[in-house]
Amino acid sequence: MRELELYFGPQHLGMIGNFSITLNVEGDRIVKATANPGFLHRGFEKLMEQRTWIQNFPLVCRINVVEPDHMELMYAMAVEKLAGIEVPERAQYVRSIYLELARIGSHLFGLWAYANMLGFDTVANWAMYHRDLILDLFEELTGGRVYHIYIWPGGVRRDFPEGFKDKIINTLHTIGSCVPDYDNTFFNNHIFYKRAINIGKITHEEAKRMGAVGQVLRATGMKQDIRKIEPYAAYDQVDWEIPVRTDGDAYSRIWVVRDEMIESVHMIFKLLDKMPKGEVYNKIPNPFKWNIPNKETYVRCESSRGELGLYLVSNGEDKPYRAHFRTPSYNHGLTILEKALENESIADVGNIMISLYITAPEIDR
Amino acid sequence: MNHTGTLLKENILSSFDDIHVDVVDEQRVSVKCKKNLVIAVLSYLKRSGYNHLVLISCVDWIKDNELELVYIISAYTEESEKGKMNILVKTRITRDKPELHTVIDVFENAEPYERELHELYGIHFKGHPRLTPLFLEREYEIPPFRKDFDTRKYVQEVFDQIPFVEDKKGGK
Amino acid sequence: MDRNKLGKWLQSPGKMAQKYSLHVLYFCTGCGIIEIPPSITTRWDAERFGVIPVATPRQANLFLITGYVSVKTLRFIIRSYEQMPEPKFTVGFGSCPINGGMYWDSYNTIKHLDKYIPVDGWIAGCMPRPEAVFVAVTHLWTLIDKGMADGYKKYREDYQYYRENQEKILGKLEWPPLFSNIENERK
Repeated sequence: MRELELYFGPQHLGMIGNFSITLNVEGDRIVKATANPGFLHRGFEKLMEQRTWIQNFPLVCRINVVEPDHMELMYAMAVEKLAGIEVPERAQYVRSIYLELARIGSHLFGLWAYANMLGFDTVANWAMYHRDLILDLFEELTGGRVYHIYIWPGGVRRDFPEGFKDKIINTLHTIGSCVPDYDNTFFNNHIFYKRAINIGKITHEEAKRMGAVGQVLRATGMKQDIRKIEPYAAYDQVDWEIPVRTDGDAYSRIWVVRDEMIESVHMIFKLLDKMPKGEVYNKIPNPFKWNIPNKETYVRCESSRGELGLYLVSNGEDKPYRAHFRTPSYNHGLTILEKALENESIADVGNIMISLYITAPEIDR
Repeated sequence: MNHTGTLLKENILSSFDDIHVDVVDEQRVSVKCKKNLVIAVLSYLKRSGYNHLVLISCVDWIKDNELELVYIISAYTEESEKGKMNILVKTRITRDKPELHTVIDVFENAEPYERELHELYGIHFKGHPRLTPLFLEREYEIPPFRKDFDTRKYVQEVFDQIPFVEDKKGGK
Repeated sequence: MDRNKLGKWLQSPGKMAQKYSLHVLYFCTGCGIIEIPPSITTRWDAERFGVIPVATPRQANLFLITGYVSVKTLRFIIRSYEQMPEPKFTVGFGSCPINGGMYWDSYNTIKHLDKYIPVDGWIAGCMPRPEAVFVAVTHLWTLIDKGMADGYKKYREDYQYYRENQEKILGKLEWPPLFSNIENERK
């Protein structure tokens, strides 16, 4: 049979974001797959070298558009480490609650994409509606639905308004009471089982060799989570478990996503109970004349897709000298995707790509 | 308190000579070596259990006329002491014709990182299977992430010189 | 139903068909894509305005460019735009296509989109809300009524200038010119 070269290009109904794959196929079977990133490359790290430390905050959150909050946290933590700024205790709790809400929102967006691709439009609409309820909470807290520049070096920008704690609890009860509906319609559905079992299977050894992090690794049976290895914010003040599955295929990855969402909801309730009173920010020096000493650092956290890191170098001046983000979708989209697509059929490309939880702007920056 | 850090420092210093090790923080160790020792140091670390290559980055020190490559290594171990440690292996190469051997034989996922550095800094990696462009579409005279590439001047010369269609028609 | 309104609608059935069934091409070009799924799902329902997403350029007549445009994406935007059948309308979503936006000093993004394809309207914001898409659609209806949404006619007339601008950025283009000697053919 002859080999054909097909372009699963950027304008496609099954493509997440602006990303492209070139497929060499023989009949219906894929022989070789090559990923083509670069459609969203802005030269982010070069732009960060031309703006002062404070001016970089609105820029940094636009790297990953689905979940911009962990990027702000990384930059703020790195600047605090370089400049030696402390964060008060109430601010740590506020940061944890804010980041867990962002994690639930990002997982609901991923569920919309996956359910839409499989054909479960009802569940996709529910997930998008519940994500909108969380975006309403963000709008009240920070003023913007998608890009909220809330985390600052030295704490957070402002405290919770009046009655905000009750609003969080009401929203989470609304979403949590629909979990049996989600289970009956999607997660326990036999059609989902048949379409996702043994698709895009990655063994434990292959995942470790190719640099996998996040859900892709937790679905192969390994309990790896930066929130337990190197706790930041208030994650060491509450008890929680890392959800894990053992099969390594698309079915296990989506079940890990569901378990993480439920764990996040429980974590928010526990954090709201234990939150102390106090200040939420420490003062920083005059931002117009802020020079940071000559050092370098590497900080990391667990975003909704895996391990996110930032390598920041300072030269003693008022602008960063070099900033390099280590994003979780980099290895998933460029190394693992090409391996997972071999010997699969064309009809499963969307299934594998979305279950590996790749976000295109994170690869290109 | 910092047992793993000091233990690691002693082990590395006893296995290699002509190498500098600093215990920077509780969980960060920095290793500086020459460019021909990089693969040996990385293989030694992988055999001791640090099997996750996190990042390959590059810093352009234009005043010293050198490029500095940084390899950040960690461990896939569930909640033990080794998993908390991040090791930064640094080496310096010249800026005029930068060349280095690839580390794909040690860590398989180094391939896209080296491709990106080749495109954005102009470093040639010997033995890499495909050093083709990854992100960029146009050709640039100086690799774009080097410090002597001025983006604002580039934008003025290339993008702002293209006229609007109404201006072109009005002129003609 | 009011007799005057019915008469006004029946006067131009072609315009009514164009206005009330704008099919949007599903192409996520930049970071503005995050506010399009909320617009087309149940909370801010776009189908009551007649707007639904379709799969291929041949079935679409509204092109929504959501966010910044890099050099690599421009090639595919031009290709998709030329495949759409006429009458077609383009709307730029977000502040980045207007004048570069946040990435005004980046070496890989296009600063003014209407130097390369004709644009009928802009939506400002970073991010605009889903209601802004609906306001833009109602403004587009007014423009179609008055006959002012004629970007595709300008593309046909000034094609050589647009193609010169495109070739300055992208180098030699692989596809032949879309309109060549079309004035002679129509005569």
